[in-house]
Amino acid sequence: MANFIPAGDGGHTGWRAAVQKLGGNLAGMVIPNIGAFIAWGLLTALFIPTGWLPNEQLSSMVGPMIINLLPILIGYTGGRLVHGQRGAVIGAVATVGVIVGADIPMFLGAMIIGPLAAWILKKIDAVLDPVTPPGFEMLIGNFSLGIAGLLMAILGYLGIGPTVNALSDVLGRGVQALIDTGLLPLASILVEPAKILFLNNAINHGVLAPIGVVQAEEMGKSIMFMLETNPGPGLGILVAFWLAGNTALRGSAPGAIIIHFLGGIHEIYFPYVLLRPVLVLAAIAGGATGVATFLVTGVGLVATPSPGSIFAYLAVTPPGNHFGVLLGILLSATVSFLVAWTILKASKAGDDDLEAAKAKSAAMKTGGAQ
Amino acid sequence: MASVSGADVKHVVVACEAGMGSSVMVAKMLAKQLKAQGVSVTHSPVNQLADTQHEVVLVHRSLAANAKNAVPNSPVIAFDMFLGDLRIAQLVNEIKEGSVISDD
Repeated sequence: MANFIPAGDGGHTGWRAAVQKLGGNLAGMVIPNIGAFIAWGLLTALFIPTGWLPNEQLSSMVGPMIINLLPILIGYTGGRLVHGQRGAVIGAVATVGVIVGADIPMFLGAMIIGPLAAWILKKIDAVLDPVTPPGFEMLIGNFSLGIAGLLMAILGYLGIGPTVNALSDVLGRGVQALIDTGLLPLASILVEPAKILFLNNAINHGVLAPIGVVQAEEMGKSIMFMLETNPGPGLGILVAFWLAGNTALRGSAPGAIIIHFLGGIHEIYFPYVLLRPVLVLAAIAGGATGVATFLVTGVGLVATPSPGSIFAYLAVTPPGNHFGVLLGILLSATVSFLVAWTILKASKAGDDDLEAAKAKSAAMKTGGAQ
Repeated sequence: MASVSGADVKHVVVACEAGMGSSVMVAKMLAKQLKAQGVSVTHSPVNQLADTQHEVVLVHRSLAANAKNAVPNSPVIAFDMFLGDLRIAQLVNEIKEGSVISDD
């Protein structure tokens, strides 16, 4: 159970800090652009043939946005993280190569080539800057970026695009097999513990959403957007803490419920689970119940609901899917509540709950940031 | 191991993974508590901490190691709970009383 307590304690940064750093970079490329994803999601939900207000002309924006705009934004932002505005520009240029070199929305490709192109430009700038004669900065700067951008776009077109395309094919087929065989709920066994370890953004934006986007583009919706973002399991755990937790945690639970379920900041419930790691079972049970319900009712979302608030969920639910989506959230909350409540009640015998939590919290503190 | 006197703290930065979700929430709550002291509280992605102006960094324990890597010379205070955290309350007191803030 100790492995559910976050790294960073005891000074060993380990694999989790590394994964989290990668995840942080992925999230840093995607999350600043979520507003554009929402614009696309709403456009899709409204105007595609199966949408609320089918409109052929307006729906013609759906394709260009998902194929071109969103990957370019990701590549741009990824480049900016590495090398400022120049990195952003070359990241956007190079991303066009992977977009044209593939026939699916190139999120993963953009996440690779944007930062890569910016990193290469950074190295080039480090060489050229010291030897650039005064007055030639603009000339050399513009052409070094232009030429390097051209080469990176070609590399993306010939190399990275097709490679990521093939990789996405394999991933997509694997996921489809899980869906077809009904095994998809088992994904919760990995997803929920990873969430609790603050790998939520890495998993959702780095792994699940890129697969989901491909499905959504083909079928108008995807269940992949719902594996990590379902607010039900966290809601059940927080309600259980509110009703059966120790007195210290009970007080903050209602506020946490509002921030989690309505505001969509899932991070707020992770520490509650970390205080009593066995509660991850409640999250897994609730998550799997949710996924199974979504699967059986055949529902999906048109875009990733970010943050994972109930309002974001309702906004990206396509017509006719509301019953299944709400039922899945409700059932997952119920199941995780029942499991969490049982665990909390059982462990309350003797009421050493608070002391144990405090001791554990103190242990984590003494090991704190090195 | 870095420390600073609470009296010298004029800028606190709260970090999270993307710098747009939980850190914004914690920063807002902390800003209210430190308004009277004239302390500004901002938020940032953890891997861009080096670009921020701060005397103290506040971050969830799960990201403390990443934060310390990013700004090795700043006191990095780790908290556990997003609501009602004792360490955050202690930090507020340390700033108000001007006592030593350390990430030991």
